[in-house]
Amino acid sequence: MEFVATVVILTCTYALLAAGIVILYKAGRVVNFAHGEIAIVGGYVFYSSGMMFSGGEMSPWLAVLGAIVFSVIMGAFIYATMMRRVVGEPFYVAILVTVGIAIVLKSAIIVIWRAQHLTIDVGIAPAIRLAGGATLSYMDVASVALTIAFFIALYLFFTFTRLGVQFRGTAENPLLASQRGVNVNLVLSLAWIIAVLAATLSGVLYGGRAFLSTESVTIGLAGLTAALVGGLDSLRGAVIGAFVVALAQYLTVRLIDPVLSEALPFLILLVVMSIRPWGLFGTVEELDRV
Amino acid sequence: MARAGTNLRTSYLESNEVLRRPYQKVLVGLILVAAVLLPGGSSDYFLHLINLCLLACIGALGLMMLTGFCGQISLGHAAFLAIGAFTTVILTVHLKLPFIVVVPAAAVTGAMIGFLVGLPSLRFRGVYLAISTLAMHYAIIFVATTYQAKFSASASAGITIPDPTIGPLKISGAPTWYYFLLVLLTFITIGCVNLVRTRPGRAWMAIRDRDIAAEALGINLTRYKLLAFMLSATLASVSGSLMAYYSNVVTVEAYTLDLAVIYVAMIIVGGMGSILGGLMGAFFITLLPYGIEHLFEFLPRAWRFGSTVFGVQVGAVGVCIILFLLLEPKGLAEIWRRTETYFDRWPFRYRPLDTTRR
Amino acid sequence: MTALLEVRQLEVVYNRVATAIQGVSLEVPEGSIVALVGTNGAGKTTTMRAISGFLPSEDAEITDGEITLRGERINGRMPHQLAKAGVILVPERDKVFSTLSVQENLAFAGREGGAITIERIHGYFPLLRERGTQLAGYLSGGEKQMLAIGMALLCRPTLLLIDEMSMGLAPIVIKDLMEKLQQISRELNLTVLLVEQNAKAALSIADHGYVMESGRVVFTGKAAELMTHPDVREFYLGGAGQAENKSYRDIKQYRRKRRWWG
Repeated sequence: MEFVATVVILTCTYALLAAGIVILYKAGRVVNFAHGEIAIVGGYVFYSSGMMFSGGEMSPWLAVLGAIVFSVIMGAFIYATMMRRVVGEPFYVAILVTVGIAIVLKSAIIVIWRAQHLTIDVGIAPAIRLAGGATLSYMDVASVALTIAFFIALYLFFTFTRLGVQFRGTAENPLLASQRGVNVNLVLSLAWIIAVLAATLSGVLYGGRAFLSTESVTIGLAGLTAALVGGLDSLRGAVIGAFVVALAQYLTVRLIDPVLSEALPFLILLVVMSIRPWGLFGTVEELDRV
Repeated sequence: MARAGTNLRTSYLESNEVLRRPYQKVLVGLILVAAVLLPGGSSDYFLHLINLCLLACIGALGLMMLTGFCGQISLGHAAFLAIGAFTTVILTVHLKLPFIVVVPAAAVTGAMIGFLVGLPSLRFRGVYLAISTLAMHYAIIFVATTYQAKFSASASAGITIPDPTIGPLKISGAPTWYYFLLVLLTFITIGCVNLVRTRPGRAWMAIRDRDIAAEALGINLTRYKLLAFMLSATLASVSGSLMAYYSNVVTVEAYTLDLAVIYVAMIIVGGMGSILGGLMGAFFITLLPYGIEHLFEFLPRAWRFGSTVFGVQVGAVGVCIILFLLLEPKGLAEIWRRTETYFDRWPFRYRPLDTTRR
Repeated sequence: MTALLEVRQLEVVYNRVATAIQGVSLEVPEGSIVALVGTNGAGKTTTMRAISGFLPSEDAEITDGEITLRGERINGRMPHQLAKAGVILVPERDKVFSTLSVQENLAFAGREGGAITIERIHGYFPLLRERGTQLAGYLSGGEKQMLAIGMALLCRPTLLLIDEMSMGLAPIVIKDLMEKLQQISRELNLTVLLVEQNAKAALSIADHGYVMESGRVVFTGKAAELMTHPDVREFYLGGAGQAENKSYRDIKQYRRKRRWWG
């Protein structure tokens, strides 16, 4: 049971990250190397805003509010000040700007939160005991439910709403979209906000299960792997990829060697990239576009 | 006296000159003289910093060849440095080989690993290639971690390496190292300059600008991409090996992904596609954390800011990357070129023709 | 009566060095179809981009002149603002969202309450109804063009700009599309600016025509007059039989001077 619980939560964590990476890739052909950092900083913000007024007791509502405000500001800020300006530059500019963002966020963790190891504990209720000695906190359950809700919402948004359709159109051809009356800047800011929101949720999930620190930013690389395994332009693939990575990581830690688990996503990646570089559900032509 | 414009070249030989204007020759001469005289009037600490810069220059030139000229983006440079360092460990600690054998051996090992890491570049471009080098980084570091866990006395102490000797001469102490590195770097720089203005360099630039067009022109993509990876890894490996000798200790914890990013920052800050830029960037980024540390010392009760200083040092690199990419994509080299043009044309104002978007 | 769209003495410079068009003046009266014809590199597309606000994305700028829509100055506006104002461009290529279905493409632009509904578009182009759920990327060239025009109509255009409608299409399809366009324009009182290399097709439905060459407007007049004009016939309609003359400029320098500027 413990095995299932851990893998499910890890899958959710990675799937949220991968979904953000996929959305950003589809929207602006940007691969975001800062996603893990954004997630962890989001987790810290969640913790700090929950702790802000209530001296030692965590207030979940404040925490959620803080996380949402953080996501909106962060996403809009990154797009408006940086990513908007890299359009039309050589491909490496966009990647390296995100690498720069990653470093700055990491330094923010050191400067603002003193790089302390934190475990997010909302403390709503005692953990649920499962058969076989596994525990599952209410927060885990809530987060998994939120993740599923997030993916369903994304699906509905992209398929049935006008904005969602406009979003997909903008992803394909921003020039034509702007000619048809879509405010491309607005749509792309929205993409960043959704991606940061997903990352923050994932950071909270990870912080609740394990701990937040400067080292835990490597979940971003696991999320990137999940996105690539599934195919960089496929949301469905992101979930499957996340599951593959989570399962493989769990089994490696349990059966082989914990040290290997950090390198493992990349070993999976090397295998996938040499056999099927566009990922499980990706589009073949995408390889040539970057 | 009317002077032929600096952009007017009337022969192939002329366009291939490295130092086109007389004062540049004077300037380079002056810099070399100053460099030779430098240890006379400076402290060991200062020389130590300069040595670190020179070591970084070797690695940064390697990355510049690969990313700046051949356009293959690599996040695996820290792994290449680690290859050099760990080759050094194996050859000195286990086999007790002398310095004069170890460094070339590290170079050869680097070239071989560079060949392997370069293989994916034949299939991938752009982002995918960057990610595959990232994967290679983790694979190499994993092997190094396993090795270190097996052979070092304690897990975190790392492995010590004795000072190197060439025949009777023992290289130790900042001034000796300084002269050794200066000579080496001068040769490497001259080699790189010549490389980029001959066939391989032109082939790399063609590949960088449009690989399909380059292939259509008869450039062997396989050969030149792999050559760039091998050269890059060789230089990084030499740098890593010398770094191991210089600091007398090798620990895998030093070769993180952050280190790779720091090297990328060097070539961005210096300016993509410029050897001078590579050198300037290496100096800038290497000295940046020390500069920040000194700035913090001006604050009252400086010891209180311990972790903040570290955080700011980390973040400054990121800020540099972002600011240079967005505001001055051609880096310090371009700033230098503009200054040069300004004085060259003085007193006339001259806005150079710039067809790149801004 | 002032025209719907007026372009006065327009000058566009690329990269701050290359002048693409100079002194171009156009008038597009309300409810009419105006054709802008010329060979490659004559500056047709640049003129169109200037009108639709796409120049900044190509590092070009309008250095002189002005563009007015119903007397209101519109140069320098963002494309989506112009689209809201009713200037709708059907570009030369990538004119539909190929990863969206035909229905989604139409819904992308469709707003409620407009005079033009999706049903009406389906009435003009019944094929689009049949192919509703298909991805637009799998449509043929002619079908894509229909979809693109349909999308543009749903954006409630006051001025429809169509760039190279005939590009890559079979003559019979071109004829069909041109007639459809004329019908639509009449029925909806829609103003259309057609930019075309295929001068014959464009002039056959246009009320008014402009001929561009080397970044200037060199001839203007009623479309019917242009069709019968000997010089235009010779160089753009391929009718006068002097096939050995490669370009207008090659031999007729003196005549051009005399006839068009003097």
